[in-house]
Amino acid sequence: MTQRAMIIDDSRAMRSILRRIITGLDFETAEAGHGQEALDLMEAGFAPDLCLIDWNMPVMDGYTFITEVRKRPEWRNVTLMMVTTESEQGQIVKALAAGAHEYVIKPFTPDAIVEKLELLGLSGKGIPA
Amino acid sequence: MTIAPEMTDVHAIVEQVWSSFLGDEEPLLPAYDADGPFGADDAWSSAVSIHGGWTGTVTIELSKNLAFSLTRLMMAMDESEALDDAEVADAVGELVNMVGGNIKSLMPGPSALTLPVVAAGRAAHSSDLREVSRFDARWAGEPVRVSVHSPS
Repeated sequence: MTQRAMIIDDSRAMRSILRRIITGLDFETAEAGHGQEALDLMEAGFAPDLCLIDWNMPVMDGYTFITEVRKRPEWRNVTLMMVTTESEQGQIVKALAAGAHEYVIKPFTPDAIVEKLELLGLSGKGIPA
Repeated sequence: MTIAPEMTDVHAIVEQVWSSFLGDEEPLLPAYDADGPFGADDAWSSAVSIHGGWTGTVTIELSKNLAFSLTRLMMAMDESEALDDAEVADAVGELVNMVGGNIKSLMPGPSALTLPVVAAGRAAHSSDLREVSRFDARWAGEPVRVSVHSPS
């Protein structure tokens, strides 16, 4: 079964870059410009296996999105990966403590994203990487 | 004494951002230009501010041609597709977000990064800021300047 990924970033250019990487791994994708839009899509029925999440966004930032997702038992299996320029140690620890599984610092290479997904056992076709 | 990022660090960060998202085929070449390479009507600029353990503003100014070229590359659009200003602002804003975020990580923290501000034209700065670091370069023959300003 094809896995689903939600790309959450206020930059359309960054969403485009991540979409090309993720669809290359055969994920189905949806996109949101901020955390609240992503929550709305999930409430409406889009069930992601993976969320790629920027930190600094208008309306709802990535950290708040993670805390909101982790409040909901039905979303406990969603893998959350921060993809952000925020690289202070304190913020990385804060995101991981809130429930993020992985943390990628921009700029990144496509290989870096793929390697992280492999570590998480995710591939777009639902077969462990 | 003002704490400022080293020019070599700014250079390294900009090069890493450029090669990650715009490819290695076309090198980013340092190109000192004391007068500033941009006419006011032929440039785009973007800025993010850092507040906290260190305070400053990181600005990218680049020619209109370069702004359009990198937008097409980041969005995987070909020359035949029309670009609007919002798309260019988005791409140029994301570049300064990445450069600014990485400069923030070099400076005393903790601190917060603002969302990018983008404009068609030269960057404007608050009068209490002075330039503490600058990197001038050319990419595909087009000029780009990254500068860091901090309160004097």
